[in-house]
Amino acid sequence: MVAEAGVEIMPTIEVIFNDLQRLVGSRLPREPEKLSEVLSYVKGEVESFEDEVVKIEIKDGNRPDLWTVEGVARELKGALGIEKGLKAYKVEGYSTVEVHVDPKLEKIRPYIGAAVIKNVKLNNDALRGVINLQEKLDQTYGRKRKRTSIGLYNFDLVKPPLYYSAVKPTAVSFVPLDFSEKMSLKEILEKHPKGLEFGHIVKNQHFWPIFTDSKDQILSFPPIINSNDLGKVTEEVENVLIEVTGTSLETLMNTLTIVTVSLADRGGKIYSAKIFYPYKDVKTVVTPKFENKTMTIPTKLFNEILGLNLSLKDITDNLKKARYGASATPERVIIEVPCYRVDIMHAVDVIEDVGIMYGYNNIEPRWPQLATIGETSQKEKISDLVREVMIGLGFQEVLTFSMTNKEHLFDKMCVEKMAVVEVSNPKTLTYTCLRNWLIPSLIEFLSNNTHVEYPQKIFEVSDCVLFDERSETKTRDVRKLACINSHSTSNFNETKAVLDSLFLNLALNYQLEEIRHGSFIEGRTGKILVKGEKVGIIGELNPEVLEHWKLGTPSAGFEVDLDKIFEI
Amino acid sequence: MAEFHQLEIKLLQALREDCRLSFEEVKDKACISGDSVSRAALWLSSKNLLKIERKQRTIVQLGSEGKRFVKEGVLERILVQSILEADGKSLIEDLSKISGLSDEDVKIAIGWARRKKWLRFKKEEGKTVLLVQSTPDVEPDEKLLEVLNKGYVILEELDNELLTGLEALKSRPNVLVFKEEADRFLALTDKGLEAAKKITKIKEEASQLTPELIQSGNWRQIKLRKYNIKAPVSNTWPGKKQPYKRFLDELKEKLVAFGFKEMAGSIVELMFFNCDALFMPQDHPAREIHDIYLVKEPRHGDLSSYRKFVGNVKNTHQDGWKTGSTGWKSRYSIREASSLVLRSHGTALSARTLVNKGLEIPGKYFSISRCYRPDVVDRSHLTEFNQIEGIVVGKELTFRDLLGVLDKFAREVAEADKVRFRPDYFPFTEPSVELSAFKKGYGWVEFGGAGLFRPEVCLPLGVDVPVIAWGLGVDRLFMMKGEIDDIRSLFTRDLEWLRRQGLR
Repeated sequence: MVAEAGVEIMPTIEVIFNDLQRLVGSRLPREPEKLSEVLSYVKGEVESFEDEVVKIEIKDGNRPDLWTVEGVARELKGALGIEKGLKAYKVEGYSTVEVHVDPKLEKIRPYIGAAVIKNVKLNNDALRGVINLQEKLDQTYGRKRKRTSIGLYNFDLVKPPLYYSAVKPTAVSFVPLDFSEKMSLKEILEKHPKGLEFGHIVKNQHFWPIFTDSKDQILSFPPIINSNDLGKVTEEVENVLIEVTGTSLETLMNTLTIVTVSLADRGGKIYSAKIFYPYKDVKTVVTPKFENKTMTIPTKLFNEILGLNLSLKDITDNLKKARYGASATPERVIIEVPCYRVDIMHAVDVIEDVGIMYGYNNIEPRWPQLATIGETSQKEKISDLVREVMIGLGFQEVLTFSMTNKEHLFDKMCVEKMAVVEVSNPKTLTYTCLRNWLIPSLIEFLSNNTHVEYPQKIFEVSDCVLFDERSETKTRDVRKLACINSHSTSNFNETKAVLDSLFLNLALNYQLEEIRHGSFIEGRTGKILVKGEKVGIIGELNPEVLEHWKLGTPSAGFEVDLDKIFEI
Repeated sequence: MAEFHQLEIKLLQALREDCRLSFEEVKDKACISGDSVSRAALWLSSKNLLKIERKQRTIVQLGSEGKRFVKEGVLERILVQSILEADGKSLIEDLSKISGLSDEDVKIAIGWARRKKWLRFKKEEGKTVLLVQSTPDVEPDEKLLEVLNKGYVILEELDNELLTGLEALKSRPNVLVFKEEADRFLALTDKGLEAAKKITKIKEEASQLTPELIQSGNWRQIKLRKYNIKAPVSNTWPGKKQPYKRFLDELKEKLVAFGFKEMAGSIVELMFFNCDALFMPQDHPAREIHDIYLVKEPRHGDLSSYRKFVGNVKNTHQDGWKTGSTGWKSRYSIREASSLVLRSHGTALSARTLVNKGLEIPGKYFSISRCYRPDVVDRSHLTEFNQIEGIVVGKELTFRDLLGVLDKFAREVAEADKVRFRPDYFPFTEPSVELSAFKKGYGWVEFGGAGLFRPEVCLPLGVDVPVIAWGLGVDRLFMMKGEIDDIRSLFTRDLEWLRRQGLR
């Protein structure tokens, strides 16, 4: 729930300040902080403002309609009261473009949608906006082109009817975008950067999708790459063909809607295409479809959720500012949801928009009067006790990473490798698994401080992770304490005195039993027992271990399983 | 005349008769430790009463190859000896066999034997034959080796013959080892001698008050030496909390005071709680391997105790179930839900708490949890970090109450002067809000995110009252307060820094 968490993939869009002003139809503040205030209506924040280019982070990963300057302007017009209520988009007519689909595609990439936009004036900025939108939709909403991908073409060069078919990887070759030589589909997958990036989507199929016209000209190899001849859209292009292919018909239609309404906002006229499917349950589909959905929400729900006292007029006014169509009675509000609002899944999505338009900062915060008793967990209470004793004994607390690698946990500690929780997608070789004991982390810490004055006495109370077949996660977090005392005459007895003092202060008895352990010196190593159960280990560190970590100072320490000693 | 330290007096007395003695001699005569001699000598020399002279000398010892020579003889002698044993004559290619030396050593041995004129070459039937007449005399280099076998020699003290031997051996690798050593001499200056003569009797002076002195009453008879109280002393370091941990402790204390109870969870988490129960669709981009660590083995956990909830969540994802939502309309895999991951955000604990039988309504909960993301560690990224998150559960809670909770946190935890809310987005909350706090001297800081859990989150988990979910971005607050600009410092490896951190 915090930005640092980064669970969301935040789209960033670049807009020209004047272009945005023109599209909104109002002056906007140039000062980034004030502009961010206005952009907060679209969950936008100014990231940078240089040379008239505003980089806006849109903090909503579920609103692709806002990932373009036209969408942002459309919404701001409502919020600022310049143009309120539903904006109607219409299809001017049928472009007479037919698209015929090959039955083989049903199991490969079954759906396609298309539209023709005429008389678009794509200056450089608008064109860049469209291409950015296309990339963002492919990446996020299209799930990296797996679910949907978009193609744009110079319509004047295309000779309909069009064919969406499936061919063998070596059957066809063409010049892919930004290349000058012909390549077969197979070669594109092997050599073209887009082929390398997205090839996995089609790689395992025997037939791959291809989009052609009546003169056998190749438009594109969806979802990988357009042809360099037909699929290159420049400023001079006036009539654009848009095509979306994918695995989900609904997502595809939504994507096509979002791109086409954006171009319509730029003055383009939209013409439909007819898709002929040979499938059992889908036959002929006309695309795009600008269908607004109707939703009915109980009136009282708005105030129940927002905690406000909004009148019927307040509710409908704010809905219209958010570009919904709305009419209300004391019982229910009937809402028309614009065709491009693909994020609306539930009444709460609409109610949030009312809250946003009302203004979050106009809502007076109220601390909920709930009688509850606060408490820290048992584990933390015990940890805090132990920390108090260790600090009293003169040890400096440290905090280290719980992710590490097997070399640090085992090889450098001179012990046999054991099974630990490893991740299957490590980012670096340093962090590949979760630690199962703490002492290696402390030794690593000391190895970074050999230039610092001795004696060095450090401890940490932290979790380790062990396998546990009975647990639903097949693992268990174990709270442990470990300490190391490092100086020129550090030895077993001195550290045992610390252990004695710790157990005395925790009002517990323990015994030691001599054991052999690769990390410690033989004859100076003991396992720590409480009521006959092993709860830890104590010893003087093996000089070979010290050598591995480039430590030149005698060191002794212990590690205790806190969960266990308080369970017993 | 200036007062002398006891050690200075001892030194002056030791040198009074001879004026110039070696360091070792002074030590023995004055009956004090080497350390004490050094210290007192430095003090006296700074007063121009004493001169410290250094005499350089070079110690020569045997290296690894030298030790071998002492044991087996120099290579050329081994070679010549073995030729003599073969009737004074051998083919060049037989040398290794008869001498037992490696080919490499044979080459070296021939070189040196030739230089020492111990052998002759002859062509016989097109082949090279080596001839040796008699056992050669022992040369200076071998004599030096003999001497060195007893320990070491001092270069500056060698006679001419041994020096010749040294020159020869120096050019052979690893035969000799050289060490520079300095001998120290202490000599009184004229002023020093004068001072030494004036010292007649050491006054009974003690530096340490002992139990014996106190108990015997003898402390009355002695004089306790004055200290230079301004002199620097050795460092001493207390045991302390790690500063970031202390910060989290203080935070925890505040949350408990507000009535929040700590939640429990585990580092390895079921995908179900990490994502699915939070209404994040299974093909959501944030769920890809770039954003969540997957456990390698075993890859799946056990969802059997949550059958009912998993069924509800599955239906909600697919078609909205009873929640009034359209759902994601994508296929839902229970197998995928059982995947094991490293917890990627603290909200997973909140989801767990909602299914917990002990959930109290009304209830307030928090957690400080270690979370993991596959990032390369640098000054602004960590691959593991702590998140502070929580929920407030209660009938009739509204968005206004949510803002109330955030407002409290901003004012009490971040000590903010002003608070600001802006719309935000999280897959699991609606409405969602971002919290910023304004603090004098710091400006606006993003301090947290929050929202009301979506019905698609609560209802499938059996909770039919509103739930406020919040998270605080406290790391930035800590870094600002401590003027830290490298996020790795939260888990600092710098002991010196930890020791020198003040407690305020």
